[in-house]
Parts: sequence; C-alpha cells; structure tokens
Amino acid sequence: MALVPDLVTADHDPQADRAALEALSDWCVRFSPAVAIDGDDGLFLDITGTDHLWGGEAAMLADLLARLKRWGVPARAAIADTPGAAWALARFGEDGEIAPPGGQRALLADLPVAALRLDEMATAQLPRLGLFRIAQLLGLPRAQLARRFGLHLTLRLDQALGAAGEALVFRRPANPWFDRLAFAEPISAPDDLARVVGDVTALICRRLEAEGQGARRFEVVFHRLDGRAMPVRAGLARPGRDAKRLTRLLLPKLDVIDPGFGIEVVTVFAGDVEPLTAVQARLDAEAGTGLDETLAPLVDRLINRLGDNRVWRADPHESHVPERSVIRRAPLASPPGQTWDRERPRPVRLFKRPEAITAMAKLPDDPPVQFHWRGRPHRVRRAEGPERIGQEWWRGDFDDTGPGRIRDYYRVEDEAGGRFWIFRQGLFGTGEEPKWWIHGLFG
Amino acid sequence: MAVPREARLAALKGQIAALEAGTRTPSPVLAFGNPAIDGCFPGGGLPSGCWHEVMGAGLEDETSAAPAAFVALLTRPLLKAGAVVWVMRRTDLFAPGLAGFGFPTGRLIQVKARDEAEVLSVLEDALSTVGVAAAIGEAEAPELKAGRRLQLACEKRGSFGVLLHRRPYGGPAGRAQTVSGSSSFSRWRIAGAPSQPPPDGPGLGSPRWRVELERCRGGRSGAWVLESSEAEHGPHPFRLVSQLADHDLAAAEPGLRRAG
Repeated sequence: MALVPDLVTADHDPQADRAALEALSDWCVRFSPAVAIDGDDGLFLDITGTDHLWGGEAAMLADLLARLKRWGVPARAAIADTPGAAWALARFGEDGEIAPPGGQRALLADLPVAALRLDEMATAQLPRLGLFRIAQLLGLPRAQLARRFGLHLTLRLDQALGAAGEALVFRRPANPWFDRLAFAEPISAPDDLARVVGDVTALICRRLEAEGQGARRFEVVFHRLDGRAMPVRAGLARPGRDAKRLTRLLLPKLDVIDPGFGIEVVTVFAGDVEPLTAVQARLDAEAGTGLDETLAPLVDRLINRLGDNRVWRADPHESHVPERSVIRRAPLASPPGQTWDRERPRPVRLFKRPEAITAMAKLPDDPPVQFHWRGRPHRVRRAEGPERIGQEWWRGDFDDTGPGRIRDYYRVEDEAGGRFWIFRQGLFGTGEEPKWWIHGLFG
Repeated sequence: MAVPREARLAALKGQIAALEAGTRTPSPVLAFGNPAIDGCFPGGGLPSGCWHEVMGAGLEDETSAAPAAFVALLTRPLLKAGAVVWVMRRTDLFAPGLAGFGFPTGRLIQVKARDEAEVLSVLEDALSTVGVAAAIGEAEAPELKAGRRLQLACEKRGSFGVLLHRRPYGGPAGRAQTVSGSSSFSRWRIAGAPSQPPPDGPGLGSPRWRVELERCRGGRSGAWVLESSEAEHGPHPFRLVSQLADHDLAAAEPGLRRAG
C-alpha cells in the first residue's frame, strides 16, 4: 500500500461476479440464441448460422467487442471451429483472432500448454518436463501422454483440434412448453386445420394440467412443405389451460393460413407459464365464482378479436394535468389503490385536443360572458372557477411548461343548459394575448 | 255487459303480457323512485333483459355528453355487482367525470371498436356474458335485425343494454334518427337543462337534464326535468324537479316543447 498509495481495493464477490456474467450472457442472446457460461469469467457463443446477419465473422466479432468496450467490460474474444480452440485463442492468442475453418492446429501450436484447459496438476507438471508449447505435445506419441497425464489431457487436445466432441450447457434451454404434431400426409383442407388446432392445443393443455400450470400466451405454428412457418397466436387475460376455449379463440384466425402444397408439422408453444391451482368444476353455475372468472372469457374474446390496445380499464394516474390523469390498464388487472379527487369536477367527455373558441370576458380574470364554439354563440349563464392547472415543469423545456402554458379552467353553463369545461391559456400582461379553449363537456 | 269494460281490458293486457313474456321469468326492474315516472312503465320501472335507446338533442347528437352522463347515472344502481362494458368508436369518454357521478369506474371495461357493425357485435357479446350487469354501446341507429339480435342477447342473461345514438364526428346531421321501427324497450332523448344555483354564492348547482321518454313498449311517454342526486342520498340516482307538459301534446305542438 505504501508503494501505491492511491490503490483502490475491493473484496472479491463471487456471487456478484456470477450475476454479472449471467446478465452478460442474457444480453449475448442478441448474437446467438445459444450462449453457455464457462467457468467464472467466460462465455461460449455458438454462432453457427448467425454470423451472416452481421456480414461475416470478423464484423460480428468487432461489433461484439466494440459494444463491450463501450460499456467498460474488458473482454477478449476469438472465433474457432471448436470451443476448445476458441477458449485457447481468446486467452492466450491474439485478441480478436479468427481461426479459419480447420486451421486451428497451426494457430494453437505456438500457445502455452495452459491454453488446453488442463487440470492444475498437469499444468504444473508439463513445464517441469520441458513441455512449454502445445506444438511439443502434438509431437509426442499419444499413448505415452495418456499413460503419464491421464486421458484428460488427450481428450482436451482432441477437443481443441476438433477430433472429439464437446457438449456445452447453454443457458437458455429449449422451451419445455412446446409440443408438435407431425402428419404422415401433408394436410391442407380448412376442416383439417381446424381439427389439428384442437388436437395440438389439447396436447399442450394436458401437459399443463398434469404439472399444475397455466399459460397466458399460446402460439400455434403451421409448418408448410416448402419450409415457411405461419403462426397464429392467442392470449388469455389470466393463465388458463382449457383446450376448448383456446381452440375457440384460435379458430377465427385460421383464415390467414395459406396451406400451399400442404402442412406437414404443427407446433404449439405456451408462454408466460405460471402455476395454476386446480379449480373444482363448479356445482352451481352462478354462485361462488369471482367476477374475474366469469369476465375473463369475454375479455379474452375481445382482446383476441380487436387487439390488445382496444380493450382497457381507465385507472387513476397521479397527475393533475387532466389528459394525463388517466392511465389505461388491462381490464382484469388488480384494482387501483387511489381514486380521482371528487372535489374537482371533471367532464364526462374530454376532447383529445382542446378546441379553440373565441370568448369575451369582462375582466382579465373573469370567466367569459359569451363564447363561440363550432360556429354557435353560447351565452354564459353561470360559471365556476378558475381552477388553475400548470404544466408539469419536470417534463419538458421551460417554453413548454412556463407561465405561457398555465391553464385556468372554468366550468360554465350556457342558457340552454349545456355545461362546458373551458380554459384560458396564458396570463394577461405577459405580452402574449391569452387564448381560450374548450376541453370537455359535462353531461 | 256483466263485466265492466276496465276489468276486461286489464284481463286482456294480462294475457298479452303472458304471451310476450313466454317462458321467461319476469326480470327485476330499475325504478326511478317517483310514481310520476315509474307509472309510465308497465312494470313500474325499466326492466332488465331489454335494451334501451338513448339519444341526444341538438348538438348533443354528436358530442353525446348529456346522454352519457344520464346513462351513467341510470345504470349506477345496477352496478353494485357485475361489470359494465362501454363500447365506442371515439375514445373521448373521461373516466374521472363518470367517477364524479358515483359510477364504479373500477369495473368499467372500455372497448374501442373499428366500425358500427363491430360496436353492435361486441355489445351483443358483452350482453350475453355472465357477470356483465350492463353494456353500453355508442352507434348510429341500428337496423331492425341488429336490434332483434341485441334483444335476444339481453334476454339470455337478463342484462341491461343501452345504445347511445351518436353521429360520427363530421357526419351528416339529422340523418340517423329516421329509423322508425326498433325492438328496443324504450327510447329516450336527453338534453342539458339549466341547473339551480346554490342559494349562497356563485357556481353551478347539481346537473339537470331535460329527459324525454319518447317511446316505451306497453307504457306511456313523458317528459321531465331530472336532477342528479348524490350516491349517498338514497338508492335512486335522479330527483324529479318538474314535469313538463304532457308529451303527446308537446309533440303535436312544437312550440310547447321549448317551454322547459
């Protein structure tokens, strides 16, 4: 410490290291779906068939390293035919080395024997015998090597050179909620497709039921003879595994499926799987069921027919700006904790955009005595207000939220009994003339 | 002439009612709590298991604010249990405003439909679902067949259906209201009415509406000025302020209709 007074020390935290590595491996999925964690400090990416998306292995590797560098993650990488060779090149070779197909033997020859992922004993023993480089090992008879250092050494050697296979444990296992139906003869008739949807959903629902799970997302994919895959999807408001209900949701969507020369395989995938306790098939049709259970099928039907964003429940949101005081939630989400302030009257219809009106007011801060809206005059009989609502200054530029944007809302009633919510934007005496707008209608 | 004329008429009415009801059990009615209004309906109130048309007068034909407020108040007593589905094409319904009328917005499911036909079919779907106490749709006047379908959907679960007649923005005025026959139970026309200001000071009083019951199956028509009453003040959402001139007379002499 005396030699380097400004040395920063930190305790080794293996768990945090591991968590960070896992996070990194999840991020690496953007490069390849198959990512395996190696030891404490390494990742294997199986990039077979994905490098062309970046325009070649070199470009892909450069992209990966550049992104990691930008985040301050010190990293070295290499690409080779085998995990063993890539491991060795990344740690002991030149950074960013790409071994040409079948060319790892030449590149590995110069590396130290530690590059072979050997156990501790062999790594210590080999240099003592004068074997420093992998090239020296390659020159020795295999039988003697195996007798002296165990089969482990030759296995690692073979794995690096591609003579022996190596199984990697990828972090993302294939989804277990997946099933398929293959046909001896390709099918194409609409009736067959409909029947198959029923069969395949029944297959996955039976499995879900056996394991006490339910899913909220289902996807049935039709694989055509020519290799095209056509998915149809259905979502549920609450987890379920009722094959009949699912089939009813999926069937109306089948008309987009073009069977072409025929469909040979149908797969089904269940997503958002969560435990679902078994419910008793009820004895009484109406009593004893929650509101959600009876409404869920309706919400599902509507969402699957119209789309996710067309069915909602309006919940309070903490904002005093009227157009932001409502937030859209899923209809069956847990109920909101707060409510709107009943003391502040709000209109039944709120226009998406306030409409400009021309108003006449006696005094600067008075409500108007008359205003024109949509070409008709309205004489104000009674008025209430103002309720001053400023813009949220933390949201944007000063110009967007400054005094010019302050709104003074009045609730006015005209002689015919129409009740309007109008506001004046801006203040008198600031140079700019305030403008009048109508923002909504009270019933 | 042993049997008086009145009694024979009552017996005949009973027979017709039995024919109309078929095997259905009589559905509960939604009463206004005032004999002047409830007397217009055959069952002493608006029955569930039927659908009702509500339209706005004048500009309200397109903005549909007063009708929406009226419907929210009208259905409020129904929503003690069960959800309400509101189907619309324009999403200018503002939940805080409905909450101000004591409407349970936590159980309000809003649906945005793409066209008229979809409004009606979603409405039909909602009405025939268990757990939906009332369903409200905003559309132009439906055809006779669509109306029949709505009626069948209402009868299935005894739910309360409302169709808010609403002209699309910028659409031609006064066209939609010309559909003559309809299978709805009742037809209402709603307009705002000047409120009674609080005696001590400025401001607006409780909202009031000019409510016309234009048509009611097996009942009478009528016109009233109603005022909203707070949710805490008893079970009925409306308070009768005044009865307008008899509706039949008013329709015959248009000059009288403005009297309110």
